[in-house]
Amino acid sequence: MLIIIFRRLLQAILVLLFVALISFLIFRFVGNPVESLLGQEATVAQRAALEEALGLNDPIHIQYADFVWRALHFDFGNSYRGALPVAEPILLRLPATLELALTSAIFALVFGVIAGIYTAINKGSFLTNFILSSSLIGVSLPTFLIGVLLIWIFSVELNWLPSFGRGEVVSLGWWSTGFLTSSGLKSLILPSITLGLYQMTLIMRLTRSEMLEVLRQDYIRLPRALGLSSKQIYVFHALPNILIPVITITGLQLGSIIAFAIITETVFQWPGVGLLFINAVYFVDIPVMSAYLLLVGFTFVIINLIVDLLYLAIDPRLRDTELRREA
Amino acid sequence: MQTPLLQINQLTVTLKKRQALFKAVDNLSLTVNKGEILGLVGESGAGKSMVGSAIMGLIDKPLFISSGEIYFKKRRIDTNAQPFRGAEISMIFQDPLVSLNPLRTIGNQLVETIRTHIPLSKSEALERAKKLLEEVGIDPARINAYPHTFSGGMRQRVVIALALAPEPSLIIADEPTTALDVSVQAQILDLLKQLCKDRGTSIILITHDMGVIADTTNRVAVLYSGRLAEIGKTYDVLKNPRHPYTKGLVAATPQINGASLKNKLFQIPGSMPDLNSIPAGCAFYPRCSQAVSRCEGERPPLFDNRIACWLFDKGAKPK
Amino acid sequence: MRRFLQSDIFYSFRYSPVAIVSFVIILFIILTAIFADLIAPNNPFDPASLNLMNGFTPPMQANDFTGEIFLMGTDDQGRDLFSTILYGLRISLFVGVMAVMLAMLLGVMLGLVAGFVGGWIDSFIMRFADIQMTFPSILVAMLIYGVAKGILPPEVRYEMSIAVLIISIGLSEWVPFARTVRGSTLVEKEKEYIIAAKMVGLSRYQIMIRHILPNVLSPVLVIATITFALAIIAEATLSFLGVGVPTTKPSLGTLIRIGQDFLFSGEWWILFFPAVTLLAFALSINLFGDWLRDTLNPKLK
Repeated sequence: MLIIIFRRLLQAILVLLFVALISFLIFRFVGNPVESLLGQEATVAQRAALEEALGLNDPIHIQYADFVWRALHFDFGNSYRGALPVAEPILLRLPATLELALTSAIFALVFGVIAGIYTAINKGSFLTNFILSSSLIGVSLPTFLIGVLLIWIFSVELNWLPSFGRGEVVSLGWWSTGFLTSSGLKSLILPSITLGLYQMTLIMRLTRSEMLEVLRQDYIRLPRALGLSSKQIYVFHALPNILIPVITITGLQLGSIIAFAIITETVFQWPGVGLLFINAVYFVDIPVMSAYLLLVGFTFVIINLIVDLLYLAIDPRLRDTELRREA
Repeated sequence: MQTPLLQINQLTVTLKKRQALFKAVDNLSLTVNKGEILGLVGESGAGKSMVGSAIMGLIDKPLFISSGEIYFKKRRIDTNAQPFRGAEISMIFQDPLVSLNPLRTIGNQLVETIRTHIPLSKSEALERAKKLLEEVGIDPARINAYPHTFSGGMRQRVVIALALAPEPSLIIADEPTTALDVSVQAQILDLLKQLCKDRGTSIILITHDMGVIADTTNRVAVLYSGRLAEIGKTYDVLKNPRHPYTKGLVAATPQINGASLKNKLFQIPGSMPDLNSIPAGCAFYPRCSQAVSRCEGERPPLFDNRIACWLFDKGAKPK
Repeated sequence: MRRFLQSDIFYSFRYSPVAIVSFVIILFIILTAIFADLIAPNNPFDPASLNLMNGFTPPMQANDFTGEIFLMGTDDQGRDLFSTILYGLRISLFVGVMAVMLAMLLGVMLGLVAGFVGGWIDSFIMRFADIQMTFPSILVAMLIYGVAKGILPPEVRYEMSIAVLIISIGLSEWVPFARTVRGSTLVEKEKEYIIAAKMVGLSRYQIMIRHILPNVLSPVLVIATITFALAIIAEATLSFLGVGVPTTKPSLGTLIRIGQDFLFSGEWWILFFPAVTLLAFALSINLFGDWLRDTLNPKLK
């Protein structure tokens, strides 16, 4: 078992290094760090001096190693806009994005699984048909459109919820949270729904189809023929068997949530790293883009790793296949 | 006469497809007695599995029981089969590779089944589970193993153990050996016979294989297009088949002895009709070499409690 | 053509109201976009024709200053919304089609090579695809956009916006094509007619293009349809975020962004009409794509 974990870990690290490489190449070769720091009026001598100072004349692999080393220490260089260190705004805005992502994920998972199981068990009911039809719309609507429409209905017309920003936040050490204030919580609602709606629809459809598939299997019919109650069958036999694909997709969707947060943060002017990134793209602020890529890549790889390992923990068949590969 | 354990009266299972109705099982009646093994034989689609599912109440939309009654120990079960499942009647399915939950140990599944019907503590149930495994020929030390570590034949034994766990009086075995190797088939069939003898459990053995019928059953019912063609003691039916279809089935069974090795394999010409094109009279009429004119328009009733064929109508003379 | 009309697919199409309605909507939108110059009352992309005084006119009401009437009202710059939507759709369609073609070209080529040649090229391409697929394609598109813009000198960034947009979306969507084609290639490779071709002495390139390629194309068309839908949505999203089409040539996404800004001040039409159009378009493409996928799925037969 440990061997499997170790192997997965190794693969993850390799992928990370590759992502770091891309990030490094972007950082170093796209755009011109010297020019943006010194402006176009700098003399040749000044440029040469800065190049030396920044280590731009060292061999490539040294620069790469240096890049990775500094990244591990949260030093991502300086932003082109204002020449401040990139790490600072990223760290400051991280809590906002993470809280949003977490809330959306929980929303999507809970409602998605419940709706999926319900529609699988109660075929043909009115609620089932309603859920299925609206899910189609949920999948078709682009995220930004959902957000804008929600704002229109709930902020402009009904005036129930705020249309932008995070509301009041409370600082807990380095972290700032919106969970502890009522305005903070209210501000979370619309963005979370916007961000989570697509995932929720996906999870619902997946849960439903997996449930339908599982319910047809003999290992469900057999306990039923042997007298077990429906409830017992659903909980102990059906549910665990749908967990595998549901967990996989959910885990992989988490990464997607973090990426789509960019859009949601823009719609709601939510002060997170997504908004930071899109502004960086707009103003061609390379260090920020490169840092974001590194961070997001890191998050994705970690998530994939956890999902992989969870998978192995749940399904005994996979463990044996893995171990057999060793032999 | 002893009261039959199970009595099926004029059972009809209907399929509803886009406003049209088709009969998967048509006015079928039969009984199962205590301590006997009844075979249900027929081609794929003849309705034999449907009968098994109907008894257990496992028929799902778009199929439903449209008429008839099923009695178990003189109580009606077609309206509500749930109380009988497991405790009185158990079922075994065809493919042991998918009958067991892959994520839980066999011990776990056995204990769960036992405790659903018999109030025992976990350790008591575990003991019982181990004894069951012994009875079906599996080393009880493997009680905590996962299903995928067993071969097909072994898994089917586990399934049989599961079916026995609540101590039912009747087991419905739906093609229990079809998915297994021939050598393993014999072992499973022997096991079933042994259990019937030791415990007095009746078995309905559903299969399309005449060899299995010959080897294992006391009585046999031959199904065709959802209808009963012939029923009787296995020895009688196989030695002297009366219904032309049964004759065909018996002739078509490959025998390994000198004479028939030289001849080609016999086949009944034609094929069993689809649900939507069952003939008006006797279902076998289009393929029957001994048909008379009556067979075309009128469906024969069951004569003599044995045979559904106009040739055996007391008035007519068999050819 | 007649063979198509008699095919299973067309039969299933005729009897599926969903497929017909969505297809009609898609066709309608595409046609109005193509013939935008003929249908639209004026050209919103021509700065000379714009009159700022026309700005913020509600639909079907005469403007206070100029007295002009606009079917769907005007936006903040005085552009006729109806015309802008039509011209914007045109750009969106152009970007969508070009992006899909780029993705298809790249994906099919890489898939063919990976499947046919195998070895470390195959491993490399597929590993790279796996890594790219862990990132949502919209993110990849944004990154490529940013990098491409960074590479270009500031002077040409504006003119090249659309090209960069096409490249970003196209490069973010090549993987499904590659994977499918690679799978089919691996299967075809073992078949006898390929072995025969090798015996006859055809070069690898000839075998790939002339023999394998035609036989692996059918699933590619389904993927192309789905990718087209994704590309349209991607373009709308990127334009909404401000990193898509240039602001003087607004597409539906840009209009929605503008519309959002003016929601609170009551100019609802700037948001409404583009939103409804995008919704209808996206929904139709999704429904049609779903139907297409279900019909062509051999497993359900």
